[in-house]
Amino acid sequence: MEALASPVILFFILGALAAAARSDLAIPESVAKGLSLYLMTAIGLKGGVQVAAAGYSNEMLSAALAGVTLSFLLPVPAFYALRRLGRLDGVNAAAVAAHYGSVSVVTFVTGVEMLTARGLEPAGHMVAVLALMETPAIVAGLLLARRAAGVPAQRHGSLLHETVLNGSVVLLVGSFVIGLVAGKDGFAPIAPVFETAFRGALCLFLLDMGLLAARRLRETRALTPRVALLAVVLPVVNGTLGAAAGTLIGLDIGSSAALAILAGSASYIAVPAVMRMALPQADPGLYLGMSLAVTFPFNVLFGIPLYTMLAQRMAGQ
Amino acid sequence: MTPTVQRRRIEILVDQPLVRPILEVVRDVGVRGYTLLPTLGGHGDSGAWSDDMVSGAQQKVLFLAVMSEARAELLIDRLTPVLESHGIVLLSSAVDVVRAEKYD
Repeated sequence: MEALASPVILFFILGALAAAARSDLAIPESVAKGLSLYLMTAIGLKGGVQVAAAGYSNEMLSAALAGVTLSFLLPVPAFYALRRLGRLDGVNAAAVAAHYGSVSVVTFVTGVEMLTARGLEPAGHMVAVLALMETPAIVAGLLLARRAAGVPAQRHGSLLHETVLNGSVVLLVGSFVIGLVAGKDGFAPIAPVFETAFRGALCLFLLDMGLLAARRLRETRALTPRVALLAVVLPVVNGTLGAAAGTLIGLDIGSSAALAILAGSASYIAVPAVMRMALPQADPGLYLGMSLAVTFPFNVLFGIPLYTMLAQRMAGQ
Repeated sequence: MTPTVQRRRIEILVDQPLVRPILEVVRDVGVRGYTLLPTLGGHGDSGAWSDDMVSGAQQKVLFLAVMSEARAELLIDRLTPVLESHGIVLLSSAVDVVRAEKYD
């Protein structure tokens, strides 16, 4: 309940309520895009600066390996659950599964805010893990689609370009490297923009996300009760696996919870655009409806506290 | 009165991520000029859509071009097999143009 009283979450709820009440409240698209670029830059810079201060550690490498492995493997059980329980065809199940292996930057940012407020700030290198987890799930999803439905391989050039040089990945990794090079002293002069204003910008962005999620939920026609239920079950299962992996490799509680949040989140920025190009036969209303209208609000309101509790329990606290 | 010649006006409503492959087909059939227009929103078989998506996966773009009858037929033949699977709207209409040589 404490988490629900955070201004960040309250702004999200405000957006959702406004959309549910059919208010004309709207954040202009260019402002929302600007805010998302700002948040990704800020989180990347902050992570880089923290790693520069803490130095290289084995924990960094094991967290990165765990993240990549989770991102690549999580779509597999999700795919079979979507096929059997969700009754989706092979292409749609593969497209949705890729979203559940990949990550949501905003869920991660919100989770870090909530963890920090509880004195469980994750290690800075978890930002690099976030960037690493964007892509393997896309590859896994495409492999599943080829195997299940015989979807022909796309030309690798354009797909690879779209996947690896995706705007959010470039900005996250680029900002992380800049933070790493600049270090604490180099970051200090720009800290007022990227640190002081961060929470306010996050509030505005979550207001927009609340509006988008609720409008998408109201307008989508693709969500059946089975699929909507899976949009809640999949993040819980994935988040639990993430917390278990974090605990097994010996991450601190905050980082373990962050890995659980990453594993439990579903992409709605990078992966939908790639899937629309790579698997045009799949229904975008289905994968965006699941990840944006159900999983994202679930994670922001209930998932993050749940994954944090799981990470604490698994660590014996 | 200024003389005019009849050509075909082709409009294609397509999701932003699919614009590039469509343009490859357009270039393949030899269409030299076209315009891409942004859209605000609308309603279709899958429900309402609008451009306020952070992903851009369902952000729609309107392709507009004027061309000869023969080239339009070629373009329509190439795109027809993917209209349903890719969720594309394709419109073809007759249009009178001045300077016909620009729209071959």
